[in-house]
Amino acid sequence: MFEWWRRWARGVWRREETEQRLDEEISFHLEQAVAQNEARGMSPGEARRAALLRFGGIEPFKERVRDEVRPAIAQDFWRDVRVGARLLRRTPGFTAAAVLTIGLGSGAATAVFSVVHGVLLRPLPYPESDRIVRLYQLDQNGRRGNVSQLNFEDWQAQTTSFSAMAMWSSWGLVPVVGGREPAMGTLVAVSREFFDVMRVRPEAGRGFSDVEQRVGGPAAAIVGRAFWDRWIGGPLAGQSLRMGDRVYTVVGIMPDGFDYPGGASVWIARGLMPPDTSRTAHNVQATARLRDGVPLAAAQLEISRISRELKARYGDDTWMFDAAAVPLLDQITTTSKPVLTMLFMAAVLLLLVATANVSSLLLARTSTRQHEFAIQLAIGASRFRVVRQLLAEATVLAVAGGIVGAVTAAWTVRALVALGPGLAPRLAEARVDWFALAFAVAVTAFTALALGLLTAIGTRSVRLSSALSIGPRTMTPGRRGLVARQSLVVAQVALTLVLLSGAGLLGRSFLGVLAVNPGFSLDDALIVDFTAAAGGSDSRVRRVQLLDAMLDRVGRLPGVASAGLVTGFPLGGGNYSNGRFIEMTSANELQSYDDIAKLPREALAARTGQAGYRIASPGYFRTMGIPVLRGRVFDERDDAAAPHVAIVSQSLAESKWPGQDPIGRFVQFGNMDGDPQGFRVIGVVGDVRELTPETPPGPLFYASYRQRPNSVWRVNLIVRSPDPASLGPAIQRIAREIDPDVPVQFRTVGEAFDAVLIGRRFSLVLISLFSAAALVLATLGLYGVVAYLVAQRTREIGIRIALGATPGHLMRLILSRGAIIAVCGGLAGLAAALALARLVEGMLFGIRANDPAVLAVAAGVTASAAFAASVLPARRAARIEPATSLRST
Amino acid sequence: MTRAAPEPEDVLQGTLDMLVLRAVQLEPMHGWGIAQRIEQWSEHVLQLGQGTLYPSLYRLERQGLIDSRWQVTENNRRARYYALTPAGRRQLAREVASWKRLSRAINLVLDASEV
Repeated sequence: MFEWWRRWARGVWRREETEQRLDEEISFHLEQAVAQNEARGMSPGEARRAALLRFGGIEPFKERVRDEVRPAIAQDFWRDVRVGARLLRRTPGFTAAAVLTIGLGSGAATAVFSVVHGVLLRPLPYPESDRIVRLYQLDQNGRRGNVSQLNFEDWQAQTTSFSAMAMWSSWGLVPVVGGREPAMGTLVAVSREFFDVMRVRPEAGRGFSDVEQRVGGPAAAIVGRAFWDRWIGGPLAGQSLRMGDRVYTVVGIMPDGFDYPGGASVWIARGLMPPDTSRTAHNVQATARLRDGVPLAAAQLEISRISRELKARYGDDTWMFDAAAVPLLDQITTTSKPVLTMLFMAAVLLLLVATANVSSLLLARTSTRQHEFAIQLAIGASRFRVVRQLLAEATVLAVAGGIVGAVTAAWTVRALVALGPGLAPRLAEARVDWFALAFAVAVTAFTALALGLLTAIGTRSVRLSSALSIGPRTMTPGRRGLVARQSLVVAQVALTLVLLSGAGLLGRSFLGVLAVNPGFSLDDALIVDFTAAAGGSDSRVRRVQLLDAMLDRVGRLPGVASAGLVTGFPLGGGNYSNGRFIEMTSANELQSYDDIAKLPREALAARTGQAGYRIASPGYFRTMGIPVLRGRVFDERDDAAAPHVAIVSQSLAESKWPGQDPIGRFVQFGNMDGDPQGFRVIGVVGDVRELTPETPPGPLFYASYRQRPNSVWRVNLIVRSPDPASLGPAIQRIAREIDPDVPVQFRTVGEAFDAVLIGRRFSLVLISLFSAAALVLATLGLYGVVAYLVAQRTREIGIRIALGATPGHLMRLILSRGAIIAVCGGLAGLAAALALARLVEGMLFGIRANDPAVLAVAAGVTASAAFAASVLPARRAARIEPATSLRST
Repeated sequence: MTRAAPEPEDVLQGTLDMLVLRAVQLEPMHGWGIAQRIEQWSEHVLQLGQGTLYPSLYRLERQGLIDSRWQVTENNRRARYYALTPAGRRQLAREVASWKRLSRAINLVLDASEV
């Protein structure tokens, strides 16, 4: 074996050398012959002619020598491939169908795999990124949440499983002023250990020094490379940026591509800010690196044990019941995982359908070539030789299909990436990389192998004598080949049914999501997003002035029906903070944390509640079309000097004050913005669904921006107008006049809805395309089998007609064959769909995975396609002329 | 093989490789020389066309029975010289022995029929 390889390798690598050597030997040989002829007395010209004449054709001679140099098997295979290519060229219809089917199937699978790899599997771009974990506090119900700084510090002091543990808090999009022009950057405050956890350092400049991480120390910032190049540029030295109410000196630039956490573009030191003193102030998130050699499970056990000990020690002072350590990649891909997994399964199904279809095509071709094979066997070809020829043909098909597939994959990936970065984190970075390409090659090779083997099964049923004596056209089909083809079509029908029912379920879910009442009705409106980052000692006042001016001037623009603002627009882009409040017996019962601490524990538990905390303007509810159910909304009376008032959502009213009137109740919600003044509830409004239409509405608590501007940061200004898109420039101008350092961004309600629905729409479109493709392939496959049956039985049918069979009878005969295949495939498909239902359950909305209506429709569509596929050949059978069919042997 | 006039004969199938090996047994030779030597030794009965000679040489080399390298002829012309390898030497010995046994047997049969 080794010897063979050595020679084969030599044959390949030395081909060039051999050619040269051969030329030289020929010319030497001819020279010698000429010399001999001259010695015998010929003239030089004569001598040369005689020598050439005697030598004969040089090319055929070379070919004979080459045959000796080329190792036999490789040479035969190459010949098989060339013959195969010639044969395939002779049947362009079949070849095109096979190549396209392989190409589209493998292309789709490769594309989806590339995306899955790019988003889910590819390691994060940090050294040993699989050792990085996110740490979460778990509440009473095991839900993951933010961490409080005191709990974090206890974790840090007591755990041994982590080599570094960092906390950070994101400030979201913030105006960054001081570069070439004001820009919005994602600002994150990180603790001292952050860069140790990530093991990424600034590529230019330095990290934070000790004094820069102290309360009151010099403010410093580190900027991401992309943000720096886009908005700042120039030399690092002496660059400073104003963000919020502080000016930061830029000390470093992070390498391109580093944007952890959450697409950060600027990092500042959390140490600059005074530490949190409350164990229930959940303002930070935690990321840690596992110590070398410590498995995740051990770290998880340790932090869980320590957290439960902390709960035991601090009781109601902490809301942490347990803790979780989640690998960073898992955490980042949590939302995109189910979609991509399902799409990948759909692509694999499509690939299987395609493979079955090509195999079926190839089998049909093999059966019609049995005569040819019989002759080959008769004149001495070994069976192996015939199978080898088929394998070579399959290889040609697979390679051609692979090329089509690679092109398809490249285009599809580009299209998927173009669909939007909002779809999944890391999607933009997805490429058809070498990994995916290797996968495509593997897919192609697998296809070729499957094709070759399946075809070989078909060939083994060739009976030499019968194939030769009966002749090519009327021969009875090789039973085994037919059975194989029929089972392939059954499989195709089954897989198609699975894909169709998946598409049906997702489609119904999509309609269900669209039909959900989000709690507001907003058709034509422009959403203006900005950050009210006015700083300085009078920031409260200036922030209110800024928002007042914006509302007033935008509201007076021509064409504006109404305008309102909120800190958490229901369709995303805001701040969705959540916290605990305490009901008070009077407006001034609890003025400070000390007062709260003095309350008896039991009483406290009964009087607390949890709600989302939003800050809104008086016009917000009218603009959004959120109904006012009781009481009133904010108005002119509720200014900074007046007692603070609040509006609660219906679900909060019903859960906190069931059967009672919430109006006039007093509530302390001071932990949201540090303002100890209590609220009096003045109204109840309808529930809204936030962020996704799927999640049921949560309890919400609204305060007025004029009274509680402290925590106002990210603002969504909703401007209702019949022609929202035209308002952009005017609002841009107003914003610039009010504060040139506040960049504003625009989106229409339609765009906001699209962003919410993009994931669903994306998977629905893809699975629909996949199932449509599968349906076409399965229909063609079934048509092929039935048409082939008819062709094979032409003679038999002719006899039946001659003996008096009616066309209807014959139609039934052929249709029943198609029906049997369709029913088998349908049953198998239903079983598979039910078995796989669990896997898509998480993506469904308002429908069960085994929804009988969807399954019935999917089965109906498949059955109709199957029927249509059988009707044409059946009608052809019914119209067969007995005389012609009997004579045509 | 008893013709008076030396007329060219085709080499008996299967014996070509043996003759080529025999031709290079004594010293390395180039292709032209091998053809000439076989022709001379066979008293011009066996004439090797290059169409059979070179494929045989390349085949024998691939089988590891002969080796080849460039050398300069007496006329200062570069030519490919072929030489027996140890494996070729053994193969030649085997083939010669079996050929002698076979031809003796054939001769015995032919002679017996003349009695």
